[in-house]
Amino acid sequence: MKPSLLAVVALGYGVVASAQIHDGTPGLIEGRPEIRAASPLQQLIDASPPGGRVEVAPGTYTGDLMIDKPLRLIGRGRPRLVGSGTGSVIRVRAADVVIDGFDIDGRRGGDLTRDTSGVHIAADRVTVRDCRISEALFGIYIRDAMGVVVERCSIRGIPGRDPGEKGSGIHAYNTSGTRFTDNEIDDVRDGLYLQNSSNGEIRGNLVRRVRYGLHYMFSDDNVFEDNTFEYGDAGTAVMYSERIVFRRNRFVHNRGFASVGLLLQQCDDVLAEDNLIADNARGIFIEGTNRTTLRRNIVAESDVAIVQFASAQGTRIEGNSFLGNMSPLSLVGKRVDTVFDGNYWSENPEPDLDGDGRTDRPYRLSSVFDHFRGNLTAADLFVDGFAAASLGVAEQAFPILQLTEAQDRAPLARPPDLSAVPRPRIEARQSAASPMALSAAAFAVGASVLARGRRARAHKRGGGA
Amino acid sequence: MSAPGTLAMVRLFARQELVLAVRSRWTPIFAVVFAALSLAVGFSGYIVTGGFGMQDFARTAVSLVQLVLLLVPLTALLIGVMALAPERGAAELLFAQPVPRATVLVGKLVGLFEALAAAQLIGFGAAGLTVFSQAGETGAGGFLLMVAGSLALTAIFLGIAALISVGNVGRRARALAIALVVWFVAVVLFDVAILGVATLLRSGHASRLLVTAVIVNPVDAVRTGTLLGIEGSAAFGAASLAFFRITGGSTAAAAYLLVSVGAWLVVPTVLAVRRLERADL
Repeated sequence: MKPSLLAVVALGYGVVASAQIHDGTPGLIEGRPEIRAASPLQQLIDASPPGGRVEVAPGTYTGDLMIDKPLRLIGRGRPRLVGSGTGSVIRVRAADVVIDGFDIDGRRGGDLTRDTSGVHIAADRVTVRDCRISEALFGIYIRDAMGVVVERCSIRGIPGRDPGEKGSGIHAYNTSGTRFTDNEIDDVRDGLYLQNSSNGEIRGNLVRRVRYGLHYMFSDDNVFEDNTFEYGDAGTAVMYSERIVFRRNRFVHNRGFASVGLLLQQCDDVLAEDNLIADNARGIFIEGTNRTTLRRNIVAESDVAIVQFASAQGTRIEGNSFLGNMSPLSLVGKRVDTVFDGNYWSENPEPDLDGDGRTDRPYRLSSVFDHFRGNLTAADLFVDGFAAASLGVAEQAFPILQLTEAQDRAPLARPPDLSAVPRPRIEARQSAASPMALSAAAFAVGASVLARGRRARAHKRGGGA
Repeated sequence: MSAPGTLAMVRLFARQELVLAVRSRWTPIFAVVFAALSLAVGFSGYIVTGGFGMQDFARTAVSLVQLVLLLVPLTALLIGVMALAPERGAAELLFAQPVPRATVLVGKLVGLFEALAAAQLIGFGAAGLTVFSQAGETGAGGFLLMVAGSLALTAIFLGIAALISVGNVGRRARALAIALVVWFVAVVLFDVAILGVATLLRSGHASRLLVTAVIVNPVDAVRTGTLLGIEGSAAFGAASLAFFRITGGSTAAAAYLLVSVGAWLVVPTVLAVRRLERADL
């Protein structure tokens, strides 16, 4: 089946639109599992005194579990907790619980409206550490809680389901002061989802093959650093949130038709520094925001580096490095008060004759070719061709079209040293034997044919003499 | 002694033309320039960018494709016209021999193709060694596709050179001028004109026009096919999808491109042969 282009476009915008009316209301809080659905560990927990430590021996334990008193549940030799398939596998209902060292299998059970998850937390200061969660709708669901910590966990969703049928990897609703560090999340709807959640920290996570890697809704004063978001519809989506600060993250390989590295929508005072935003269909998407600041990021190898709506106000884009993007900027609506200052643009041909490190003239962020492609998608078929280049040259010589006036007022002449920006994860950079042998063979064949021609010539001469 | 068969005759002329091409020094110069530029592109793709790069291989290959699109048609046309448009006296002498004219022309074309292909293989071999010492095996298919595209362009523009030469026997300067114009039109002007016309049309018609143009022009066909082969739909972003949609899927798109390239391989040469057979020298 081949989807019509229009349908694909509609789908792409649907992703953005549906997030606006995202139904994040949690379901009822599940209590104690029924006797026949309960794990054999339930007795151990019930027998333990509050504040105690329960060690679990290696083995497989089938059934669900509720923890309703502060305690430390420690797995020795990675015990497997296999859920009943009807509800959340572990339900934490008391503060100061620690869960450490388990493999948790949700058995694809439950449903999204009941927030069925590997670990369901509705209590303060709970820690989940070194757990591997698979086949659960939500990996870890946290609601109405403060100070929850999730670290070094691996969460894998249910394979082969549509995004709409999946839950988030880690889902936080009405929380504050959560800390999610060094987790690996794969194949879920949103990797990390936070709604009405403030003052959280998210560090060192790897999220891949998801809808959104990280998704904030109505969540203010959050920080995320040193994470990698790849192969999603959007690396990170910040929506209806204020004062989000993020540094040194990678937003890479978000290559779907309407995919975005970084999506900022209806949010205020976002600050992004030292991030790598590379190999995305669109690098950064900005709509309806106030006072966004993007500093010292690398935006590379996107079809369009920045897509900005006229509804975005007070955006400052400074000291970034834009490398090898098909087009630097696509504006929706004409009015722009965005400040572009001191960025490096790899396509900027201007010289720096006075040697002040800035090119001598401002860099205009649209070429006559961008004007074509803005009106006509298929024009991109010519984007790498000589026609586009010659049109650019001709337009500079004879400026006839009134183009958008967005420009970098003092672009850098050389790429800045952005040593804080994380490098791409290099996948398998080694030599390949057979292509190299083929190349050598091609070289030898070519050389020998030419050499034979030469010898024949010498021979001829010899014969003639 | 019985007369050798047609194939043997073609081989004989091919061999002679190859020797002449190597002797003319244009082919060795082309080989050196092409190899140097390929190597430069190969190195800069991996080393000058300072180790940064998500799509090192694809970017390098794309730059190599640009090099091919610029240089290969130009050299094929110029070297082809220089070899195939002899002075009037030489033509009379050559075609007075008891050999069919078609055999002479095809033989010469084969020889020229061998010479130019050999020159390119040196460059591709050198670039391939640099690229694949770093890139892993993933890009090998795309690289092969690029080499194939380059060889196809060589043959296509040799055929066009033959057509130009046959129409301008004894007028070598004129033939060279026409060759340059043909090159400029095929590589630059055609695309600019199409983009210009496309802006005047409604978007649906414009898209179809652009896609058709990309298939019909052999330079664009090779460029589009190779880049799609190397980068997949990331090659042109959304335009890739528009291309597949209008052509009816990736298989159909590949078929259209192959048919176009095939037609360009055959038609100019056949026309040149027929014209030569009818020509009054």
